[in-house]
Amino acid sequence: MSLDTFTQMTLTGVNLGLMYALIAIGLTLIFGIMRIIQYAHGELFMLGAYVLYYWFAVMKWPYWLGIIASAVIIFILGVGLQVLLFRPLHGKNILYSLAVSMGLIFIISSGGLIGFGTVVRGIPSIIKGGVFIFGAFFTYERMVISTFSAILIAALWFFLQRTTLGIAMRAVSEDPEVSSLQGVNTQRIHWIAFGLGSALAAVAGCLMGTLMSIVPTMGFMATMKAFMIVIMGGLGSVVGALIGGFIIGFIDSFLTTIISADVAYIMGFMAIFVILVFKPAGLFGQQWE
Amino acid sequence: MNEKNKLATISWSLVLILALLLPVFCNYDKYILHTGISIAFNIALATSMWLIWTLGFVSFAHAGFMGIGAYTSALLFTRLGWPLWVNMWLAAGMAAMIALIISIPLMRTRAVYFFMASWAIGEVIKRIFAYYREFFGGWDGIFDILPPKLSIFGLKIDFASRVAYYYLALVFCALIVYAIYRMNRSRTGMIYWSIHEGETLAQHVGINILKHKVIAFTVACFFAGLTGALYAHYHTYINPKTFDIWQSEFSLVHIIVGGLNTVAGPILGALILTIVDELLRPTGYYRVIFFGIIVILTVLFMPGGLETIPDKVRSLVNKFRNNRKEAPADAVTYHR
Repeated sequence: MSLDTFTQMTLTGVNLGLMYALIAIGLTLIFGIMRIIQYAHGELFMLGAYVLYYWFAVMKWPYWLGIIASAVIIFILGVGLQVLLFRPLHGKNILYSLAVSMGLIFIISSGGLIGFGTVVRGIPSIIKGGVFIFGAFFTYERMVISTFSAILIAALWFFLQRTTLGIAMRAVSEDPEVSSLQGVNTQRIHWIAFGLGSALAAVAGCLMGTLMSIVPTMGFMATMKAFMIVIMGGLGSVVGALIGGFIIGFIDSFLTTIISADVAYIMGFMAIFVILVFKPAGLFGQQWE
Repeated sequence: MNEKNKLATISWSLVLILALLLPVFCNYDKYILHTGISIAFNIALATSMWLIWTLGFVSFAHAGFMGIGAYTSALLFTRLGWPLWVNMWLAAGMAAMIALIISIPLMRTRAVYFFMASWAIGEVIKRIFAYYREFFGGWDGIFDILPPKLSIFGLKIDFASRVAYYYLALVFCALIVYAIYRMNRSRTGMIYWSIHEGETLAQHVGINILKHKVIAFTVACFFAGLTGALYAHYHTYINPKTFDIWQSEFSLVHIIVGGLNTVAGPILGALILTIVDELLRPTGYYRVIFFGIIVILTVLFMPGGLETIPDKVRSLVNKFRNNRKEAPADAVTYHR
């Protein structure tokens, strides 16, 4: 393997890892705080990408404003879903939330196929050109998007560590009863977390949609990646999601280039299986009952 | 309770008789028989998945094990020319063996983690079928898996005919359901439900949880493998996509809509939803949307599933009767 292929794979790995981490952090927030299975996370990712597509490629409105709009719209949608569908299921067997979100997958992805059509679309690039780094070509667009994701993750980290709301969220994820005794309004935290997680998925959808193509069925791929990462890192752990994102990103980038996409999947799942066998609650996870 | 049991026995016998007479009723209509065969497969799959649920967890690898059965049988047939009658037991055995090996480390995980780990296994099984092109045929799958022929007592039956295959599928579906029903009613079934209710408590009264979990998982996968072999020889063509996560998800939907507490749940769910699915087929993508709406409405408004309907009707009738009887008594209290 030559140096330039290696550099190329590393850069792609970092790029993919950051975006996977963005999807997975949203999911892990919902997981850790509400303790439900949100299986339709990838569908919100898909909807987010389509909001940007209609905003930027069809209506020709500004790109970065489109990302914000997408985040806001999906935030509202997420809050609506939480209040209508997931709140009644809180505290029940996880099978019920799994079933409801499965129903959502059916509805949203087929609705997308009807509404958006089955055509593969693309969001046009905003920044052209690129640069050679150690013989590997890296577009400016990828660079900007990677930086943006990194900043977003850092901002989220700061939000969770330093602000009152973020600390309340971590408290609820740690122990719901005690935190509600301390005066945290857990219901409010639940819908905020759900909306925030969904908005993060939407932003990731916008960024990935810009780099790749978008189809109404792409949500399931995102769900799959997000679940792989979250399970690997442990439910409710943001650090775990970040590390898991990089692991899956690198496996995808390296193995897809060297061998094939199927092997990348197989190895990804093998990695999860091995991690779960030795650490049944993921790398940094909380053990549920 | 006894009367209720009698009623249940009568209605289930009626269902079985109706199923046996279906080819006559529908005038040997090929499409209806095809639906009947699909229902039989779905019931077998959902019921064996429900067996795992009686221990309190959901395995998303179930369709993968069905795939192992289907591929084993298909490869034995296309490479060695062995008949289905031998293959299906080998297929079921293969699925059970792999399940046994995998389940020992798998059972360390719990709740969501188990669900995800089993999901990973299902996906790995599918991708392995897809990756080894020379051996498993890759994404293109395996062709020409012919239905078997049977000649007993001078009687020649060619299972390429829909009616014959319908009865074959029905027999095996009934056997699987009956086996699981008996298992659930036995002492073992009680142990399974006790693990479902409280794992720690079950452990403390001396139940070997790991052993029971492994056995239940293996048995369920055995049935899934059997179903897979029958599936392969009916459709004569299989590819990895048939056995992906969606198949498991649909089975799970069947269980949830049907009901989680008794074996009637998966049967009712698979039966009714497969029929609804076929009825909605002309509507294209709306069919899937409708499916999703059914699932969400069931979970939110009828968490017990379809199987609770008879009980609800019964209690409603009782309430109505009691109201009529007690009306004068009510009037007296009112005047006082």
